[in-house]
Amino acid sequence: METQKIKLHIENYIGEVENAIREPIVDRDVGRIAIDAVKAFILLLPMLNGERWNNRLHTASIAVGAVHAAFDAHDSINVYDATSKQQQLTVLSGDYFSGIHYRLLASLPEFGFIRSLSETIGQINETKTIFHDQLPDGPEKLIETVRIIEAGCITDFLYTFGFAQYVPLASAALSLLWFDEGNADYNSVSDKRSPHTMNTADTDHAIFQLHAEMQKALDTADYLQPFLQRKIRNLVTPLIGKLN
Amino acid sequence: MEKLKLLSLYGDFRKDLVYIEKELERSLNSSSPIIRQASLHLLRAGGKRIRPIFVILSSKFGNYSLKDVAKVAVSLELVHMASLVHDDVIDDSDMRRGLETVRARWDNRIAMYTGDFIFSRALTSIGEIEIPAVHQLLAETMLEICKGEVIQIDHQRKTDQTIRDYLRRIKRKTALLLSSSCELGALVSGADPANVRKLRRFGYFAGMAFQIVDDILDITSTDEELGKPAGSDLLNGHLTLPILYIKDDVNFQPYMERSFDGTLTESDREEMLTYIRSTEAIQMAQAVSDLYLQKAMDEISALPDGDANAKKAFMQISAFIGRRKY
Repeated sequence: METQKIKLHIENYIGEVENAIREPIVDRDVGRIAIDAVKAFILLLPMLNGERWNNRLHTASIAVGAVHAAFDAHDSINVYDATSKQQQLTVLSGDYFSGIHYRLLASLPEFGFIRSLSETIGQINETKTIFHDQLPDGPEKLIETVRIIEAGCITDFLYTFGFAQYVPLASAALSLLWFDEGNADYNSVSDKRSPHTMNTADTDHAIFQLHAEMQKALDTADYLQPFLQRKIRNLVTPLIGKLN
Repeated sequence: MEKLKLLSLYGDFRKDLVYIEKELERSLNSSSPIIRQASLHLLRAGGKRIRPIFVILSSKFGNYSLKDVAKVAVSLELVHMASLVHDDVIDDSDMRRGLETVRARWDNRIAMYTGDFIFSRALTSIGEIEIPAVHQLLAETMLEICKGEVIQIDHQRKTDQTIRDYLRRIKRKTALLLSSSCELGALVSGADPANVRKLRRFGYFAGMAFQIVDDILDITSTDEELGKPAGSDLLNGHLTLPILYIKDDVNFQPYMERSFDGTLTESDREEMLTYIRSTEAIQMAQAVSDLYLQKAMDEISALPDGDANAKKAFMQISAFIGRRKY
């Protein structure tokens, strides 16, 4: 029952992000970008847990979804040749989705989040550039890199809207899930930079460390309803395992 | 030389522009060595800084505060800069303003991230201005620019386009950002709403003229003057105003077809450019640009004399736009 409710909320959210970022020519020639259901689940965690959730928060959460869609579009650009119509439109769709996120936040207006999210987006792109150029040196650096790229926008959202207690859990879960190679959604950092291309020892160490972090965050998450705790455990242990 | 001419028109506002240039540089400071290099590379490539100067001049019709004006001006220039970095990926361009593009120097992915980084810094800069209308206008402008580019890609190599299609496209592609530069400058300084409207219309008309001249220069200038191959628009499948005037010319059509299917040789390109220059297409396009410029001048004339230097500079820059050579 609870699982069904979660699923419905996530599907509604994904539908709303898709509606917000719809562009007819892009839809026709590129197709719709897949919105990441697991990221949506972590983003909506406070709402699913019964925290106050109003239209402002709802709009801001859709803005975060649009940012993720923009990242995914731009991560799919071919490194050396983007001259096909499909690739050209994908470049522009990423810019368009990014513009949608700004319009949503401007409509509130949510100045503080415009500022902090833009800082975070800047940092994510800096980190992606470094990551694209060279592999992180050691597990600590790898964790830091993945954490910024995968969890940056969602943890920023949680901080900004008064859900700081969810941050350790969200940050560890999103970072850990990037290492789940069975989950295609989590290879978005860069096509050249999947867990597969990492040093195995570093990857194992990073997974071990993040798993411990995750465990600790769950053990102290007495604010979180048991069914959500279970959901997260299922999601991250043993890495593979998705939302039903 | 041309650039020096333009800079001399900015004379009275040079100090403010220098401040904005420093703010641009500060905004693009990055922890990523590649982004730092790419951003410096872009800043060094220069540019006319038309958007920042339009923000400054428009702000002179309200209560001018350089600190606030700079935030808006920096943001608009960064939006423009970021879109150029992404455009070079779309057009597979190696050169811009005589320098290697970010995608050519590094790769497409670095260009995507650099462009996104610059976009983010544009929002960080304008995020300091807590005026809802400013953000709503900038967001709408960014979206319209994207839609314009999407339509441009969709229209690539389509020869059934009309002049109306072209004008709609350049409105979104160029005129809107210049129009918004003026409107945002006026808004941030709290200018009178009637003047805000006049400035917005001025920016729109000047922007239309600017893009038409840009499209003419793509044909009439040399590779060296442009810093990229002349005729690039057509080679990329974009039908500009001069081309729309001769697209049905039987002597021109074979060149157009070869441009589109990628079989145009270097000597064909030279021949094609010489041929277009010999037709009336350039003068006809220039006449349309002149009409827009006249409308732009009319809007400026209707503004109060509050800051005579700003009015004078607007007039001179408009005249430059119409006759520029780069």
